[in-house]
Amino acid sequence: MSRRKSTTVMRMWDWAAPPTAAHREVLSAVPADWTEESRSTRTPPILFIHGLAHGAWCFAENWLPAAAAAGYPAYAVSLRGHGDSGGRKRIGRTLMRDYVHDVMQTITELPQPPVIVGHSMGALVAQLVAERYQPRGLALLTPAPLQGAAGIMSHLARTRPLDALKVVVGGTLPLRAGALFPGLDAPVAERYVDRLGRESPLVQYELLLPRKIGPVRAPVMVMGTPQDQVVDIRAVDVTAAAYGVEPVWIDGIGHDLMLDAGWERPLTLLLDWITESC
Amino acid sequence: MSTWAVIGAGPHGLSALKNLRAFGIDAHGYERASDLGGNWNYGAPTSRVYESTHLISTKPFTQFPDFPMPDAYPDYPSHWQVHRYFRSYAEHFGLLDHIDFDTEVVRVEPRDGRWEITLADGTGATYDGVVVANGHNWWPKIPEYPGTFTGEVIHSADYKSSDVLRGKRVLVVGAGNTGCDVAVESAQNAKSTLHSTRRGYYYNPKYAFGRPSDQTADMLLAMRLPLAVRRLLFKATLRLTVGDFTRFGLPAPDHKFFETHPTVNQQLVYYVGHGDIAPKPDIDAFDGSTVHFVDGSSAEVDLIVYCTGYLAKFPFLDDGWLNPDGDHPVLARQIFTPEFDSLVVSGLIQPDSGQWTIAHWQGALIAAYAALRERDPVAARSFYERLVAESDVRFTGGTTYKNSTRHYYEIAHQDYLAAIEQDLQQLESVR
Repeated sequence: MSRRKSTTVMRMWDWAAPPTAAHREVLSAVPADWTEESRSTRTPPILFIHGLAHGAWCFAENWLPAAAAAGYPAYAVSLRGHGDSGGRKRIGRTLMRDYVHDVMQTITELPQPPVIVGHSMGALVAQLVAERYQPRGLALLTPAPLQGAAGIMSHLARTRPLDALKVVVGGTLPLRAGALFPGLDAPVAERYVDRLGRESPLVQYELLLPRKIGPVRAPVMVMGTPQDQVVDIRAVDVTAAAYGVEPVWIDGIGHDLMLDAGWERPLTLLLDWITESC
Repeated sequence: MSTWAVIGAGPHGLSALKNLRAFGIDAHGYERASDLGGNWNYGAPTSRVYESTHLISTKPFTQFPDFPMPDAYPDYPSHWQVHRYFRSYAEHFGLLDHIDFDTEVVRVEPRDGRWEITLADGTGATYDGVVVANGHNWWPKIPEYPGTFTGEVIHSADYKSSDVLRGKRVLVVGAGNTGCDVAVESAQNAKSTLHSTRRGYYYNPKYAFGRPSDQTADMLLAMRLPLAVRRLLFKATLRLTVGDFTRFGLPAPDHKFFETHPTVNQQLVYYVGHGDIAPKPDIDAFDGSTVHFVDGSSAEVDLIVYCTGYLAKFPFLDDGWLNPDGDHPVLARQIFTPEFDSLVVSGLIQPDSGQWTIAHWQGALIAAYAALRERDPVAARSFYERLVAESDVRFTGGTTYKNSTRHYYEIAHQDYLAAIEQDLQQLESVR
C-alpha cells in the first residue's frame, strides 16, 4: 500500500487554530568561514530533529561538532517540551503539528534551505515538514513507522506489558540504555538516559496512526539498524519504499546511532550522501 | 530547460519565481523599483501602503505556507514587518540573484511561440513563458462628480501619513479598508471628518469570539457550517458587540454578509460613536469649497481623500490578451489567459482572507504547469484548454458579489484553493 499522497493545499485547521509560539532551543556548530562563502558555493546547512523524549542535546554530543569539523554548518532544534525549549507545562496538550511548527520556525531562521535529518519520531516530523517545504535533502534515520506504530505496541504488550500499559494511559514510552546505545559504558549510558524527558501523550497516540506523505521534491535517504529494539525494522523498509530508495543499513549499533559507540560510521555515510546527492 | 520571465517582485512575483525555480524552470524576475515588496515596498513610487498600514488578516493564512512569519510577529503585522518578511523569504530561497531591480518591462510581445520582453532601456530578452505579477492596486480609480471643488484633493494612493490631515476639515470617500483607516486617522488628527459611502457596510471587528476574526471565520469553515449559518453567526456577533449600525447614523447594509469584500475595522464605529466621524451618503455635486450630498445636506471641506480603490492595469500587454470580449480581464482560475498558454497572471485576486497562502499556491500551480509543459506539451495543452473552457467559473463561496469594479477579482479563499488543489493533483497524476 502506498504511503504517499498528492499535494495538500487545504489545511483548514492550521488557518483556524494555528499552533501557539514556544521558545526554541537551537544548538549549532558552524564552520568559521561558512557565512562568508558565496551562496552558490557554500554547503547547505544540516538541521537535525530528535526523536521521542530526546532533545537537541543528543546531536550536540557528537554529531554537531563532527559535522562542523567536516565543513558542514549543523543545527539541532529541541521540539517544544524537550531539551531546553519551552512548552513543558503544555506538553499534555501538544500535537505533532506543534512540532512541525517548531521546525518550520527554525528553518525560516536559517540563511538557506537545509538538509533535514530526522531521527525516529523526528523522522516523521521531518517528513511532515518536507511535504510543505522543499528542503535540500531529507534523511530519515531509524524512522518512526509510516504505517503506524500499532505493530510496535502489540509487540510491546507481549514482551513488556507494563511499559505498554504506561503508554496507553499517557505515560512516556520507557526507553532503556540497552536498546538505545548498547555499545556505551554503563556510566555514560546512564547519564544519557537521565537526560531523556517526557513525551507528549497525544503525540504518542498520533504515532499509532498510519500516515501518508505528500510530494517531497528533494533527495531522500533512509537509514536503519538491523538490530533496532525501538522501531520495527519493517518501518525502515516501508519508509524507504515510500520514496523509492534502498535503505542504508548500519550493523552493530543501537537505535540512537548519534550517541552509541560507532556514531562516526552513520555520520560519515550521511555526510557523504549530502555531498553527493544534495 | 525552459525559461520564464516574472514581472514584478512583490509577494506574487517572489512566490512565482521561487516555485518555478523549485520545479527546475530557469525563471528570472524584473522589478521596476529598487527593492522587492511591490505594494509593501513603502516609499517606492508604486507602493500604496501608508505609514500606519497593518495587515487586516492574521498570520496563519496571510503567510506563505512554506515560510511562516516569525512567532515574534503580532497577529496583525505592520507593513515594515511584512517587508522584512518578504526580504527574508527572498534571501532564504536565494531569489535576489535572479531579479533585476530598477528594471521596468515596457513591452511583452509574442514571437514564434515564445515571448520577447523589452525593457525601458531598450534592451530585451526572450522567454518560453511569462508570469505577470505587476499588482492591481496601484492605478488610482477616481470618481467624477458635477461641479468644481476648489479645495485640496488627493487619492489614497498618495496618502502616506496623517500629517496631511492635521487641522483640516476632511472628507474621506469610500468605506474599503483604506477608507476606514484614513477616516480613523482623520478623526484623530483633523479638525473635522466626514465619511462618505455609497452604501452601508458591515464593519467587522479584528477580534471575535476571543480570536482574530479571520481565524474564527476559518474555524466556522473548517467545521463545514453552511453559508446561512455562518451569516447568522457573524450578524449575531456584530449585533452583540457593535449593535445596530443605524443607531450611529450609519446606513444599514443593503446586502447580505459576504456579498462585499470584508471591511475589517474596529475603530471606525468607535469614532462615529464619539462624534469624531460624521457619516455621509454619496456626493451629489461640488460648488467651490462646498460639497453637496445626495441626501440634500452640504458641508464646507478643505481636503477630500478619495479612498475609492484601484483599477488593474497592464501597460506592457494588449488588453485583448486578457479578455478579447470585455473591459476587464477574465482569467481561468484568475491565472490562465484566454489567448496564450504561456502567458499567466498571478495576484489578480482579491480574497476574502489573507493573501499570500494563495500567492504560494498560484505560484505552485504555475510552476507545476510550466514543468509539465516542458515535459509533456500535449498533456499541458489539454490541461490549459480544460481550464480556459471554465474561465467564467467564479469562486464565491456560494454568495453573489455586488457588481462593482471592486469585486471583479473577488474570491472566496476556501472555494478557490479547493479548485487549485484539484488542479495540482491533476498535474501530479500525469506521469
